[in-house]
Amino acid sequence: MIEVEDLTVRFGGVTSVNDVTLTFPGGACGLIGPNGAGKTTLFNVLSGFVRPYAGRITAFGDNLLAMPDYARARWGLRRTFQTEQAIEALTVYDNVLAVYEHTTKERAGRQAAVLDAIGLVGLGDVAFAKVGTLSPRQRRLVEVARGVVGTPRVVLLDEPGAGLPEAETEHLGAVIRTIPEQVGAMVVLVEHDMSLVQACCEWTAVLDFGKLLSAGPTADVLRDPEVLKAYLGQEDLE
Amino acid sequence: MFNTSQLFPFLISGLAFGAVYAMSGTGLLVLYRTTGVLNFAFGAIGAMGANITWHLIEKTDWCPDWLAYVACVVVATALTLFYGVVLAPRFANRDPLGKMLGTLGFALILLGLMFNLWRSQDARVFRLPTGTRRFEIFDSRVTWTQVVAVLFALVVVGGVTVFLRATKTGTAMRAIANDREIASLLGVPVRRVETAAWLGSGVLCGIVGLLLEDLFGSLDMGTMTFFVIPALAPVLIAQMRRLWVGFFAAFAIGVVEAELNASNWDWPSQYRKTTPYVFAIVAVLWFARKRTVMISGRVTR
Amino acid sequence: MTTMEAAPPADAAAVVVPSRFGRRAAIQAAIIVVILVVAMFVLPALTSTFWVKNFTSAAVLAIVAAATGMLYGRVGLVALGQIGLYGVGTWVTMRLGFATDWPYPVLILVAGAITAVIGVLLGLPALRLHGLYLALVTLMAAAAFLIILANTKFPTGGPGFRGVVIEVANSRQMRRPDIAETDYGYYRYALVVAVLMFALAAAHLVSKPGRAWASIRQSEAAALAAGVNTVTYKLWAWALASFMTGCAGALLAGHVGSPSTFTFTVEQNIILMAVVVMGGVASLWGGVIAGLLAAVLPEVLQDWGFSSNWTLILFGTGLLTNLLITSWQLDKAGIKE
Repeated sequence: MIEVEDLTVRFGGVTSVNDVTLTFPGGACGLIGPNGAGKTTLFNVLSGFVRPYAGRITAFGDNLLAMPDYARARWGLRRTFQTEQAIEALTVYDNVLAVYEHTTKERAGRQAAVLDAIGLVGLGDVAFAKVGTLSPRQRRLVEVARGVVGTPRVVLLDEPGAGLPEAETEHLGAVIRTIPEQVGAMVVLVEHDMSLVQACCEWTAVLDFGKLLSAGPTADVLRDPEVLKAYLGQEDLE
Repeated sequence: MFNTSQLFPFLISGLAFGAVYAMSGTGLLVLYRTTGVLNFAFGAIGAMGANITWHLIEKTDWCPDWLAYVACVVVATALTLFYGVVLAPRFANRDPLGKMLGTLGFALILLGLMFNLWRSQDARVFRLPTGTRRFEIFDSRVTWTQVVAVLFALVVVGGVTVFLRATKTGTAMRAIANDREIASLLGVPVRRVETAAWLGSGVLCGIVGLLLEDLFGSLDMGTMTFFVIPALAPVLIAQMRRLWVGFFAAFAIGVVEAELNASNWDWPSQYRKTTPYVFAIVAVLWFARKRTVMISGRVTR
Repeated sequence: MTTMEAAPPADAAAVVVPSRFGRRAAIQAAIIVVILVVAMFVLPALTSTFWVKNFTSAAVLAIVAAATGMLYGRVGLVALGQIGLYGVGTWVTMRLGFATDWPYPVLILVAGAITAVIGVLLGLPALRLHGLYLALVTLMAAAAFLIILANTKFPTGGPGFRGVVIEVANSRQMRRPDIAETDYGYYRYALVVAVLMFALAAAHLVSKPGRAWASIRQSEAAALAAGVNTVTYKLWAWALASFMTGCAGALLAGHVGSPSTFTFTVEQNIILMAVVVMGGVASLWGGVIAGLLAAVLPEVLQDWGFSSNWTLILFGTGLLTNLLITSWQLDKAGIKE
């Protein structure tokens, strides 16, 4: 569970997150909203790259904002980025190992942990290929594998389906759905692809212009007229 | 601590060098903002031009002096345009460091060519007509080149400022410097404006080359080529964008560097050439004091 | 694109992890041993002392080039001022070499260590800088240091901190290790040290620091999000590269005997970067190529009747060519830096 209280983020004159209070209950949660709504900013606050103007974040009882950015991964926070950041110069195995060895103290069992993560995303047969040689879909999956290796508590996925054709997002959705149960971590998924959100997330929050618009079971939220209005604009609805 | 009788003469030479730093800094800065290229070959190109001028004056009979000076500017402009139009576009997809490395390679080629064409063992002295005429102020000798340098620096920086604000091309340059993609979408003829920037930079390079050779007195190609390194100090202090900050930084550096000569002790004079570097490093570290994290090139803090 | 159904998770037990010390690594090691044996024993027999000394210079420069290339190509840090640290290594070795009786390997290690400390101290403020700014600041720092060095001069066996002897006739040459007094002997000595330095770098690159550096190079933010303490690992990179460069400087002291500060110029930094790029920054072998380019090629050209100025033209052309090719490759892959 992640509790966000009174979070406000300002960049110069722009308030990108405006006094947001919400609680991500656990399991797989969606975070949606139009462009510029503040979703990635919220992720950046969680990652520690952006210091909020005001507010608190408590994750599984721990004060997240008190930890330095690189330490949050050891705590159990993982994150993928909008532009894929899998390390091209390394193999898939080394990519995942690089995360494991910086977040877990035990050396024993690291091989099994890395292979488990690679297996979960379905990249077992390219485990020792250099990431630079893989397709965009496979690279996204490498990022997801990096996110689930070891014992993470929270996996933040920032538009993992961006740029992927529909057939490939189905596989991605299947992988994401298994994370809470198989890995034991909660997932927060930022996405524009509503079918992916519906497929993975039981619960969804909606941001618009930095404010919380709606939050609750995904099906209800996606039917909420306020949400539709934010996405589509007033005129189209009339 | 200071030999007071020497303070004024060194102030003069300091201002002159400061002026050269200011002019080269302006050229480097405007070119960088417009094209993304920090022209490390600036010194080498100017040296090539100046050497050709010397050669035309000393080694040929038919060439009148004024034509030789013009030749310097022409050669410098041609070389700069060659790089800008033929080579620089090939590096368009690289980061600023990659773009600069290209000019670095160009500088090495030019330096090697210069060494081959003119053996630097010959004691070669270079003097503009303004360099041989002097007058006296407060018991100090001032050459007309030094005066021209300072005046020219003011004209150049002032002129460039007006150009950037008041002319169409100048405004286009500022637009490109601000955001290249949007400028292009708005219909700014990016390639043409870039070529104009390369052209202007080349002309300035030729002029700086002539002035610098006169102020130095000799035609040491190595010194001239790597003059670009201290010349980058005011550019860094200007954070690659603030023209007038660079202008004043250039003069400050020039004056301090020269005045250290007037000290009674040994070490200020021995180490005075570190002045531009000390200024630049302190400034850069001061500006970078807020920690930043880059995500794919976008700063997010 | 073929349609993909959700693939069943691969059985972890079924995937065989290729050992890092498997066949490929064994073959590479064998090649290295062969090259080393040829270089150490066959090459000197075929050439004169003059060329052996050039190859010694190449081996020493290869260390600096490998360190620089590693920083640029594997960590993403541009160090345009390595010649400054090179000078520190030489200076420390000579000062201690005259003042103490320490065996040469100790001198090398101490010089390396001191250079590493300086490298880290310089790296600390440099942490905030990237790309062009980092390159220019390191270049300027080296320029400033080399001006200081030019005034301080290398020690020649005299007293005091600077250790410079006033009477030039009394100035001493740097001693060499007992087992490597001759030029041939010193050549083999330098090769061994170079191989050890390369091995040290390689050991880093294939293990945890190497992976951390690859993370940092790809994206500092992603590295932080993956738990990499970027400050620690960047400083570690500076420390390793500076250590290697300092040790190379120590080797230079014994090689030349009485180095002159005139050979430590700002231009050398530029030339170093040119040969490092030409040699290639993706692999440590690039350092070997760079060392050969910088130390052996100029002599080869002179042998063939070309003036040494042609090396400048060649290095400039080589640098440009390399950049053109890599830019073209980036274009083809649709990548913009």
